[in-house]
Amino acid sequence: MSQNRQYELVYIVSPDASEQAVADLHTQVEQIVQRFNGTLDKTENWGRRKLAYEIGHAREGTYVIETITGSGELMKEIDRRLRVTDTIIRHLTVRVDQDIRVAERLRTERKETQARRRTARGLPPEPLPSERRGDRDDDDSGDMGLEAGEGQR
Amino acid sequence: MSGERGGGGRGRGKKEDKDKAKGERPRGGFFRRRRVCKFCADKIDYINYKDVRLLAPFIPERGKIQPRRISGTCAKHQRALQTAISRARQLALIPYVTD
Repeated sequence: MSQNRQYELVYIVSPDASEQAVADLHTQVEQIVQRFNGTLDKTENWGRRKLAYEIGHAREGTYVIETITGSGELMKEIDRRLRVTDTIIRHLTVRVDQDIRVAERLRTERKETQARRRTARGLPPEPLPSERRGDRDDDDSGDMGLEAGEGQR
Repeated sequence: MSGERGGGGRGRGKKEDKDKAKGERPRGGFFRRRRVCKFCADKIDYINYKDVRLLAPFIPERGKIQPRRISGTCAKHQRALQTAISRARQLALIPYVTD
């Protein structure tokens, strides 16, 4: 049970570190994951990005996002390792599996309700592209919407 | 509801006027936007803390989180937004303060 939790790990590598150093860090993380029988699902490298504020003396950093499935012990070890690594200026681990599950449930529930309502009205369960409303009203029609909305209340 | 029948108290009377003068802005100069929760309207189930473009409208210049009474976000999503913003701040995607 505790083996298949999904985490998202984001770390910011110092701008002084070379590309090679970033790759090395990634393999380091990978090794720890393997040692703890976890799986590395996805890796995303955002590349160099300007920081919103200075961390230490760094004004920019390389962002790397890893999606990891594994146990809490695994994340603890990664956290410890990243903490002692000088080239990493910031890191954050977030458990995501629960949130994703909730989001999925909401999505399917919404779809089901929509399908049920539409079939009750004698329409096909999926809305046709032609009957879809515009994404966002522009400002003027928005005003009209306000008046109508307030009147009904 | 009872639009034409001249019903209700003062508040209702005002709204009637507004209804008739459709398209005209309400008097007093100040225009209030219809407040709808952006996340409910756009059907965003998970507020991703890495998505700066999503969070940016809720962070005015000063860097503080916009209160619910202004942005119109519903309670549930404001809570989720709060978490997302503080995570984004830790990762230096969003400033803590700007001045």
